[in-house]
Amino acid sequence: MSYTFDFASVFRNMAPLWDGLLVTIQLTIAANVIGLTLGFVLALLVMSRWRAIRLPVTLFIEFFRCTPAIIQIVWFFYCVPMLFNVFLGSVTMGIMALGLNLAAFNAEAYRASIQAVPREQLDAGVALGLTPFQRVLYIILPTAVRNSVPVLLTNGIGTFQQSALVAIVAVQDLMYQGKTLATLTYRPIETFTIVALVYFAVSFPVSQIVGYLERRREVLAS
Amino acid sequence: MSDTAPLIKIEGLHKSYGGVVQVLQGLDIEMTAGDRVVIIGPSGGGKSTLLRVLMGLEQIDRGSITFGGNPYISAKSGKTAIDAKVRRSIGMVFQHYTLFPHLDVIGNLILAPTKVRGEKKADARERAMALLTRFGLAQKANAYPAQLSGGQKQRVAIARALMLDPKLMLFDEVTSALDPELVAEVEQVILQLAHQQMPMVIVTHDMWFARNIASRVIFCAGGVVVEDGPPEQVLGSPKEERTREFIERVFHIKH
Repeated sequence: MSYTFDFASVFRNMAPLWDGLLVTIQLTIAANVIGLTLGFVLALLVMSRWRAIRLPVTLFIEFFRCTPAIIQIVWFFYCVPMLFNVFLGSVTMGIMALGLNLAAFNAEAYRASIQAVPREQLDAGVALGLTPFQRVLYIILPTAVRNSVPVLLTNGIGTFQQSALVAIVAVQDLMYQGKTLATLTYRPIETFTIVALVYFAVSFPVSQIVGYLERRREVLAS
Repeated sequence: MSDTAPLIKIEGLHKSYGGVVQVLQGLDIEMTAGDRVVIIGPSGGGKSTLLRVLMGLEQIDRGSITFGGNPYISAKSGKTAIDAKVRRSIGMVFQHYTLFPHLDVIGNLILAPTKVRGEKKADARERAMALLTRFGLAQKANAYPAQLSGGQKQRVAIARALMLDPKLMLFDEVTSALDPELVAEVEQVILQLAHQQMPMVIVTHDMWFARNIASRVIFCAGGVVVEDGPPEQVLGSPKEERTREFIERVFHIKH
């Protein structure tokens, strides 16, 4: 192999990468706030007994689950301003696109764990005289939310990685700064290796936490 | 209430699943507050369904149930009307424990009293500790269900139901899911309740237990009461051929 690695020239210009990481983390946190709350509301709506509520929500969820995230982002950046005459700044638009996408996936996670609460648990709630609302509040929700935590974390960290896609619409995130740095240093391999390592350094601990939570849940469920 | 006035009066109870599978086909049962009724019978005979109906967990097609002389459950124009207030005076323990996994033992016990009755947390805790102590579970008060054995879980479930001072207890095959060596500790607790004159309806496959706890044994098959009498008679010398066949099969003996 004739290629000689030169990480030094990248290391000398790391500062923009940290700025980019900060933006990426902002995007991730904001998108997760939307994803965790809106996702929960969507999950409740999609289980509604009324078709008129269920149908549009299902469509919304499936749209985000069944189209590539990159297209959703591009669409948000170019079509939403044209159609509705609003543009809220590139970071906000990025957050919206990522957040709605995450909400759709989280809604499914919530729904699955709500429906996985054993029927007998609810029977016990009836036998104890709890009202339907109390059964939801004290039996379904605590169990369901707890059970959905690993999937929510996995989805959340997925959004961290997916947020790299907003670089194509000029949000100055980690990926964007990486691209710029690669052009600047003429060292794309080294630059993207480092960018990848930064993504990895954040994601890996979270995926370890997910693994730990799932093992613990298996122990508790037995 | 006197011991002879009916506590529960079931009349013409019909129940099917989806209008196809007939589970209860005209069940009539009367029980007094002095009764400890054990229901036996083949699976699919309607025993568990009857308990679930009594707990207000199932819709019925026809018939009515009164509790202490008051209307409790009836079928009106295709809908089941259940008096929620009456329902709160009935407690039930299920086959699969059904403890709430996210609450510790004390939390399981005080959930309903504090939320349904608005009892003060401290008062409910005090009553809960007294019950747990009586059932030999005081040191498990802060354990989570996952940390308990099947027998312990079932005793907690019984204590949880008792927290609401039920006037009738329903036990639906509460020892069927237990390892054999854990059955006795649960049955002991139920026997203890029986000695305190708690009215109860028990569905069980454990004939030793049935004989020891029942004041009355009802043999249910095909959704109707086939035989009803004192345990010595129904278990010892059944009058009906179907009861005899069932008892022989369960006891593995010939009369």
